[in-house]
Amino acid sequence: MAEVEARGLRFHVQTLGPDDGPTLVFVHGLVMDNLSSFYYTLAAPLAAKGVRTILFDLRGHGLSARPSSGYTPHDSALDLLAILDALGIRTPVYLLGNSYGGVVAMRTALADPYRVAGVVVVEAACGGIVGDLWFEDMVNTLTVAALGLEFDRTQDQLKALGQRKIARLAGNASELLNGTTLIDDLGSGPHLADLAAVTCPVLGVFGAESTLIGAAAELAERIPDCRLHVVSGLGHTVLREATGELLDTVLDWLRV
Amino acid sequence: MSDVLTRLAQIISEVVGPDFLLDVEITRETTFSDDLGLESIEFVALADKLRAHYDVDLVGFLADMDIDEIMAMSVGRLADHIEMAAARG
Repeated sequence: MAEVEARGLRFHVQTLGPDDGPTLVFVHGLVMDNLSSFYYTLAAPLAAKGVRTILFDLRGHGLSARPSSGYTPHDSALDLLAILDALGIRTPVYLLGNSYGGVVAMRTALADPYRVAGVVVVEAACGGIVGDLWFEDMVNTLTVAALGLEFDRTQDQLKALGQRKIARLAGNASELLNGTTLIDDLGSGPHLADLAAVTCPVLGVFGAESTLIGAAAELAERIPDCRLHVVSGLGHTVLREATGELLDTVLDWLRV
Repeated sequence: MSDVLTRLAQIISEVVGPDFLLDVEITRETTFSDDLGLESIEFVALADKLRAHYDVDLVGFLADMDIDEIMAMSVGRLADHIEMAAARG
């Protein structure tokens, strides 16, 4: 199934794996990211182990619709729950969020605790001071990127050079950053989760060299059922560069 | 050109869109990333269309490759896989 209608929007959704068995929903990162970062890494191996995996493009990203507003992590958490409704999935699901997707996953666990069996956070700061600084940094970086894309007409220049792939990435990024309320929504906080209110089991996976490593201790301190795994030698790129280690860690945590 | 390659070229055209493909002739040697400029999310859409058309699931085939290998793949290699998988039924 590639298209799902939820909250009045068309979402690109892929499902891999059996119809029964534990269900895990992947949540990708911001702007340049989409479900393909899971499609080519964790989804197929997890599906082969009997996990029903669900991948979706966040609103404004990948092949999902790009409405002009509604880009807070809470909005995306409601999108996720509505997609589960549309798929007819009523049993609790596991969530795995990478980078910004980790924040959306944690917001989902708070929005509807009964539908979330557990959360895997990969390289995300979901609360506390590390999270505040991270959001501030993201908003600043995206604001600068938005201005650059708007004034340089980057995608037109790339298209003229025959660089279709990069031109499309730049064009989509520009439409998301300059044509929607995404930056304003992210800057309008507070968006982070009250970690002390999270009741489900959480697995946190971080790169030892990441600027977000401080978020690991925060998770462990505030969440009663929390397991941590730190990947040595890596920063924010755990999903892509330590796929095998991440997969083994998730399988062990899921006990499948 | 084999039937599969011809049909595959048509499906690729649907995914890539007509504006870019005017100058590109799709052959066995054409690569998805460098020659067609396909985004990784578009390859997901392509895999979807191939599953619908041939009832061939690419997930197992792709699971053994990382994203760079997948995008560097030639159209001919994908066509060979589809032909083999279709022959196996």
